Amino acid sequence: MAPQKLYPRATVKKIVKAHSNCNVSKNADVMVSIPPTRRPIACSFTDAAQMFLDYMLFMQTLMKEAAIEAKQGGERSITARSVKKVTADSLAKFRG
Amino acid sequence: MVRESRRPDATPTRRPSSAEPLASIGRRSILRTPGSQARGLTRPQGFSASGRKIAPPTATPHARAAFRTIDSRRAAILTPHRARRKSVREVRDSPRDFLLSLGRVLARNTEVITTSSSSPGDQEKGASSDATSSDAPLGELGDDYNDDDDEELPKRPRLSLPIDEEDDDDSDDLQPHRSVLIDDDNFTMQSIEMPRRATSEQPGGRFSMESGRMSDYFNTNDILHSEDLGIDSGFFPPTAVLHDGNITMGLDELPSPERLDSDTGRHDLESDFGLEIPVGDLNESTFMLAPQVEESPGRSPIADAEPAYDDYAPLVDQRSDDFDDQDLLEGVPGFEEEPEGTTNMALAEPTEIELVASKRAEARGPAKKSIKVSKYGHEYPSLPPAVVKRLAQGFAKASGAKGKITPDALKTIMQASDWFFEQLGEDLQAYAHHAGRKTIDESDVLTLMKRQRQVNPNTTPFALAQRHLPRELLQELRMTPLVAPKRRRKAKGGEDEDVT
Repeated sequence: MAPQKLYPRATVKKIVKAHSNCNVSKNADVMVSIPPTRRPIACSFTDAAQMFLDYMLFMQTLMKEAAIEAKQGGERSITARSVKKVTADSLAKFRG
Repeated sequence: MVRESRRPDATPTRRPSSAEPLASIGRRSILRTPGSQARGLTRPQGFSASGRKIAPPTATPHARAAFRTIDSRRAAILTPHRARRKSVREVRDSPRDFLLSLGRVLARNTEVITTSSSSPGDQEKGASSDATSSDAPLGELGDDYNDDDDEELPKRPRLSLPIDEEDDDDSDDLQPHRSVLIDDDNFTMQSIEMPRRATSEQPGGRFSMESGRMSDYFNTNDILHSEDLGIDSGFFPPTAVLHDGNITMGLDELPSPERLDSDTGRHDLESDFGLEIPVGDLNESTFMLAPQVEESPGRSPIADAEPAYDDYAPLVDQRSDDFDDQDLLEGVPGFEEEPEGTTNMALAEPTEIELVASKRAEARGPAKKSIKVSKYGHEYPSLPPAVVKRLAQGFAKASGAKGKITPDALKTIMQASDWFFEQLGEDLQAYAHHAGRKTIDESDVLTLMKRQRQVNPNTTPFALAQRHLPRELLQELRMTPLVAPKRRRKAKGGEDEDVT
């Protein structure tokens, strides 16, 4: 787990920016400028991270539901079918 | 009427000849027996207005009564339930007639049923017009009499009423019920959550975007993506299923078929392979095979069912494209061509985009990211499948699912994640615009998560972050608790590293 990227922040930002036609503010930059003395602190909990966190929550819901669906459907593992079945509901759950 | 009737009771002999008082009395008694009905009919003549035949006034009440008793018996024999009803009708009919009249006004179809019920008896009896006519009018006459006799009438009819009325209700009410049922179905169809969310969510943003793409993708990608076609067409899915099953199943089964005997699917496979199985087992195996076959079609119907959101299929195409490109390292150029078409639509600056896309593709390499165009005409990549897969597997394991996530499943998950981000972007945009900003702010995301009910007083975003964000981040976060956690500010390592 260690070597992985923390999360594809730039990608998240691009995706959201494309869909919303809005810029995504970076808290990080602000934070960097504020406490310059401490390097590790440099990043705040950026919007992108927050959005990615939201995405993770969505994935969690999606996979949980898909696993339940797969079990009910007698499938051995999560399949495209179970995921498809669950996708709409999961998206609806995460409708803001 | 009642008052008059009482008087005659005191001096019955003379007045009985005078029609009215007796008739009223007679009605009361008549209710019990069909003969009594005949007396009641004397007044009913007025009801000829209803259009049905009425016994001629010339016939003596006793004669009419006799005819009616005979007819009623015939009717009872020929058409048991309905004839019986008619005999006892008067009280019952009163509400019934109103309903019938309503039914005739509202739905003319009901007329056929009612007439058919009453008419056959009449027509059969036709020779004796008086008797037959009497039966039909009796029911209608009852209405008028009800006003007079309401008090007494209800008592006796009740005995036989429930059965007959039920029948009547069934025959009469059938059509209204049907219509109601239809309406109910419609309402249920509409009343499900679908519309509420569907109107806002699904059709609008995604569809507009991706529907446009749909056409493009279908034209170009059909050949490339056999799986997508399979899902849509329903012919291929079985093969896809088999592949999935074989991949997961095959790995498991081939090495250790014996261990997994419990599973039915394996039995099927084994039966297929081993011919030695007795006939009974073969039959079973055939049945067992059916379920497998069903599974493969099962996907197609599901895919069909979901298409209520027509987007899914097209989206699959997109995903599949992206996914294929990334995984297979296949022609980025082919992929680029599609977005170009869409970009032409939106941006009218295809060349620049193409150049950019090609540059990006060159820079990042073919596997890196597939580019799509949002409804605003912006290109956007999809999340790297590796990340998605890692997350999906992690959560799948956490949720207790066994096995690996099949490539198809991953594709669908990628679709779902794309949709999610699209939805996310729309929501955030809405919040930002509402706040008068053009940049999505932290508060927007927080608002979104609150509205998603992911964040509530009990679970702060900070807690969620600690729970879900990778440990590296967490460690750094712990390093710097000084930054107000309320603001969700957390420390990270180098920013550059975070960036893909």
